[in-house]
Amino acid sequence: MGINDAGRRQRPGRADGQAVEEDLETLICAVARGDQASFEAVCARVGPAVFGVVRAVVRDPFQVEEVCQEVLLEVWRAASRFEPGRGSALAWVTTIAHHRAVDRVRSEHRSAERQLRAAAHQIAYDEVAEAVEARLDRERVRRCLGSLTSVQRESVTLAYYGSYTLRQVAALLAVPEGTVKTRMRDGLIRLRDCLGGTR
Amino acid sequence: MRKPRRTEPHTLAGAYALDAITGADRARFERHLARCQACAGELGELREVTARLAQAAAADPPADLVERAVAAAARTRQLPPAIRPLRPRQLPPAIRPLRSRQPVSRRIALGLAAACLAAAAASGAAALTAEHHVGADQVREHAIAEVLNAPDAVMLTARVSGGGTATVVMSHRDRTLVFTTDGLPALPEGRCYQLWLMGPAGDRPAGVLPAPDHGMTSPVIATDVATGDSVDLTVGPVGRSGQHPASSPILMLNLA
Repeated sequence: MGINDAGRRQRPGRADGQAVEEDLETLICAVARGDQASFEAVCARVGPAVFGVVRAVVRDPFQVEEVCQEVLLEVWRAASRFEPGRGSALAWVTTIAHHRAVDRVRSEHRSAERQLRAAAHQIAYDEVAEAVEARLDRERVRRCLGSLTSVQRESVTLAYYGSYTLRQVAALLAVPEGTVKTRMRDGLIRLRDCLGGTR
Repeated sequence: MRKPRRTEPHTLAGAYALDAITGADRARFERHLARCQACAGELGELREVTARLAQAAAADPPADLVERAVAAAARTRQLPPAIRPLRPRQLPPAIRPLRSRQPVSRRIALGLAAACLAAAAASGAAALTAEHHVGADQVREHAIAEVLNAPDAVMLTARVSGGGTATVVMSHRDRTLVFTTDGLPALPEGRCYQLWLMGPAGDRPAGVLPAPDHGMTSPVIATDVATGDSVDLTVGPVGRSGQHPASSPILMLNLA
């Protein structure tokens, strides 16, 4: 899979990132055995993606740093739980990162007032666009997001970058929950197909 | 593609991958996931897509991010590899229901125990603890794994009078049991479910059931189970369990 951001320290000459991805998996397996040097390498590699997703969701710079630290430490702690057969190492790490980030935001945003304020935010897709520099992979993701229907795209991006729950997305888009549920799933599937082989 | 029904949790895979479902929906999907290979496969694929969404947001982290993480790691113990008896199919053959005083099918019982135990011992991103350092949760998780993996582990299930079921996984070798419940009635303020070991060795309090999560209580571990003990459940006042139960048990399960 494209690894241009997370694989910043990739070896020269490997544009497809395949070997790099294998390396990240191998590194995490070494981390599971307590190898601190491998952990440092993993952090350097996944740092930008972890930071990026946590920042997109959490926003508050102080908390972003805290959550990033939690995520990386969880990678260290739980490295033995990574199962290479069940997905890429990057997906494993970003799943942890997103989950942690969302947890942080939701524990912050319990009150209805805060949820309202969150709902008043600009929609997340624009923020993705705003964060775009000119990296190839990012462009491709953006283009693929653009190929979704608007309900699919907003369901996916509001949930992923905005940490909105299915229910909140439904309320925000004034669409039945069942529809949002389906759009989240088929939106992701369409993204997958658009992005090409994700593994 | 199958037509999604309201009761079909499969279609929640997308929302789940996006961390967009919480509470009961999330727990329901996770229970479904534990039994559905196809869902696990699909979720894996969807997570590759969300990984791309994460990458699309990638940015340069603060300069000291890695340094601080490495320093923190040096002070932090790692989790042992995941134990995998968490899915019904993966329970060791030695764990089998011995009896059920009410018709609780093996499948339901195993599913129930697995779901309860998974709640405490689950691995992976779905159940990340907030702990940085080795903590009570980790110790507990390890203790649960020990019981589940014990070669002599047996599982007992029984109906609780008043409603709900209790499931015990017991290792006589380790003299330890893990106790979970499903569907116990909610208690009035100030009352809690108390667990006891009772037998020739005397009555010993074995802990208080935690507040249920979607009807299920996460496992309570009782150690030093003695010969002839039964495990008993009572309802008592919060904070005053004493050394003997104050009321007659609503469940008495012989561990012989």
